[in-house]
Amino acid sequence: MIRFLEISNYTLFWYYLASNIAYLVMLLVAFKTSAAHQHRLESHRLAWIKESPLAPPITIIVPAHNEEASIRVEVRNLLELDYPELEIVVVNDGSDDGTLDEMRQEFRLRPVRSVYVASLKSAPVRGLYRSGVDARLLVIDKEPAGSKADAINAALNAATSPYVCIVDADSVLERDALLRIMVPVLADPKRVVAVGGIIRVLNGSEIAKGNLRRARLPRKSIEIIQVIEYLRAFLIGREAWSQGNMLMIISGAFGVFRTDLVRAVGGYRPNTIGEDFDLVARLHKHLLEKRAEYRIHFVPDPMCWTEVPSDLKSLSRQRARWQKGLLDVLWLTRGMLFRPRYGRIGFFALPYLWVFEFAAPVIEILGIATIILAAVLGVLSRAFFLQFLLFGYTFATVISIGSVLQEEITYKRYNDWQDVVRLVSYCFFEHFPYRQMHMFWRLQGIWQYLRGDHVWGTLKRKGMQSASVP
Amino acid sequence: MESVFDKLWRLGPAPFVLKAIVVAIVADVLLLAFILLRRTRRKRYFAKRDARVFQFRQKWDALISGQIPFESWRKKPFDRRIVETIALDAFESAGPEESARLLKFLRASGLIEKRIYEARHHTGWRRLRALAALGRTRAPEGILALAEALRDGSEEARLAALRGLGSMACPRAAEEILAWVSEAGLVVPALPLQSALIQCCVERPRLLLPHLKVARGSLREVLGRVLGEVATPSMGLDLLQFVEDDMAELRAAAARALAHSQSGLALDVLSELVRDRIWFVRLRAIVSLGQLSDRRAKPALLRGLTDSHRMVRLRAAEALVGIDTEMADTFAQVLATRDRYGLHAYLTAVENADLLGKLGSDLEQSTSIGPEEKERLQNVLRSGSLGVPDKSALENVAKNAVVLP
Repeated sequence: MIRFLEISNYTLFWYYLASNIAYLVMLLVAFKTSAAHQHRLESHRLAWIKESPLAPPITIIVPAHNEEASIRVEVRNLLELDYPELEIVVVNDGSDDGTLDEMRQEFRLRPVRSVYVASLKSAPVRGLYRSGVDARLLVIDKEPAGSKADAINAALNAATSPYVCIVDADSVLERDALLRIMVPVLADPKRVVAVGGIIRVLNGSEIAKGNLRRARLPRKSIEIIQVIEYLRAFLIGREAWSQGNMLMIISGAFGVFRTDLVRAVGGYRPNTIGEDFDLVARLHKHLLEKRAEYRIHFVPDPMCWTEVPSDLKSLSRQRARWQKGLLDVLWLTRGMLFRPRYGRIGFFALPYLWVFEFAAPVIEILGIATIILAAVLGVLSRAFFLQFLLFGYTFATVISIGSVLQEEITYKRYNDWQDVVRLVSYCFFEHFPYRQMHMFWRLQGIWQYLRGDHVWGTLKRKGMQSASVP
Repeated sequence: MESVFDKLWRLGPAPFVLKAIVVAIVADVLLLAFILLRRTRRKRYFAKRDARVFQFRQKWDALISGQIPFESWRKKPFDRRIVETIALDAFESAGPEESARLLKFLRASGLIEKRIYEARHHTGWRRLRALAALGRTRAPEGILALAEALRDGSEEARLAALRGLGSMACPRAAEEILAWVSEAGLVVPALPLQSALIQCCVERPRLLLPHLKVARGSLREVLGRVLGEVATPSMGLDLLQFVEDDMAELRAAAARALAHSQSGLALDVLSELVRDRIWFVRLRAIVSLGQLSDRRAKPALLRGLTDSHRMVRLRAAEALVGIDTEMADTFAQVLATRDRYGLHAYLTAVENADLLGKLGSDLEQSTSIGPEEKERLQNVLRSGSLGVPDKSALENVAKNAVVLP
């Protein structure tokens, strides 16, 4: 028993060390690539894309389920985006609130029989509407099917552009976000098949007429901690994975894909939980099997601001769902592991996700349990315990402060001194007890998935109220 | 006396961990200090910069006319950067007179000379910045320095030079780009090259023709696409040579270019290209037919309406709606194709153009359609479907639906 506890404690220590070192390496890669990206933008003027006749048309897809609180602002924001050729398809995914009525009133929708070839499976469509205010807006009203993937498939059937951009209905895109996200596509349209943008936390910021007027830090602790998480995940994690062409997730809140490829892989999997991760994994698989030369990019500056859960209950549900989604996709792609034909995805990206994302809650919670047990049995080295705690805490803080620094150096959206001080302070507080709670929610997710609970679940949204709307 | 560090050191058997803790704490402190110092420095820098921008703007006219000696700001890098930025920003929105005044100022003050020097002698990001700035000045004397950078080993530098030449938007810049691609081939991504060439060749699209004749592979495709964008009506006959080219991209480019041609031949050639085996050639031909706005294109557009590719059908429908004044007759012809996908595409285009009411009233008032046929057409318009087709037609539709792209 004592031997087991010793082994367990040391395993946890090495696991923690490896995980943090991996993140440290990613932090360094991200620092370097962000600096290069900033310099590159200096010689690349976005106005050229805006005026270029070669900018390919984009269909923006907005799945909306019970989004009456934010749908007007969201669609208005999309219609004002800077991009030469746009089409916007909003899918009312069986909402039982006033989502469709809100759009009817705001955009004077009239029924149309637009071309809708149901090449991808989705729940039955009740009707199609075109806006009388702006003909670029098409609304699909469909039966509910319980998943965002199903709604996106319906929109893909109606999309007429070579690129689709998937956007969440509770998100706000910055005006030049599409121009920025298309930079890698325009630079290399043959190889770049998908691009993800950065997602930032909208709560607390000021919105005016659907546009972000001023980025502010939210008030609640739980929201501020999510700001740090998002910065870490996007500005460090995705930036670094993208450099190695191993990006496995393009956030469902904002990403651009080549339409023909999304259709070629059969669109979104309707019964999936983590539809964004699932699609990117299948794109990798499809293209690697075809031995195609391709790139899936992450661009850190086209910003999409989204509302994050502001209460523990919603956050726990969201994180459990993300973990279910992760496990779902990892299980489906297990055949890609360590197979030479899947190259770096099979040898690095997927194993990393298995070890450091899927297994993290299991190992950490098991580790904490064995430490407590060891303490009870009196076999715990006090020195080791203290060192371990101190080391884990300080190292993790370096990564968090690093991500804040990355934001400071590059995009610097929080201009207020007060915001920065609070953000940095929370880098020291997020590791206890939030981190342990987070691990527990993720463990719950694994348990729910193994029990067969694959339901998407609902999140409590405040609409744009979480941001102030003057 | 034992130090704190010694005490910590004796805590346990893992000095490595202890060192790691110390390193992590130091890293935390350094990161925090960096954030705070950077913020403070930037705050001061921007305050100073804003004040200086305000001062320069106050006396802008005196500054660019030379009343204020150039030496008073040119030798200070901070001031020089501000003046250059203001001048280049003003350049973007200036009319011809103001542009000439600004260009004169940039020349007289030596800013262009300086950028040319930097573009030739600096390396890395400083060179890229100089190339971009040089392009924004649109000063012809910068073309040579930009053209030299096209031959640089770094792709970033080549791209910056290409964008710079693109913003010059003049035939001389086009000549330099074309000479370079002729000797080096396609060594940059296609889109920036296309963009730059489109901007530079608008004035003299014929510059492209000799290069198109000798270019091979993907470079030929790129030049073809550029020609498609910039071709002028007077180039009608020059374009015909590409209509039967082996390269689909070039046929598509010819189809695109023929949209600008006033030659009577364009209609016949485009009607032929509507039958091409490659879908995007057909698509380009259909779009060009729509742009010609000639009612004689109707049969070809009706053919496009029954195409196997969805995009071609949609564009054919849009073109039909766009050129039509006799909607009732066209609607009858669409129905005569017995193609439900074509009908759907046509009705979509009519609805998108908000012309459904007009089509209804045209049908009502039409004298060329008999009452029985009129009623049938009205029924189809109401239901949006062809009615009950015979069994073989249904089988055909099902077969088509499987292969529909």
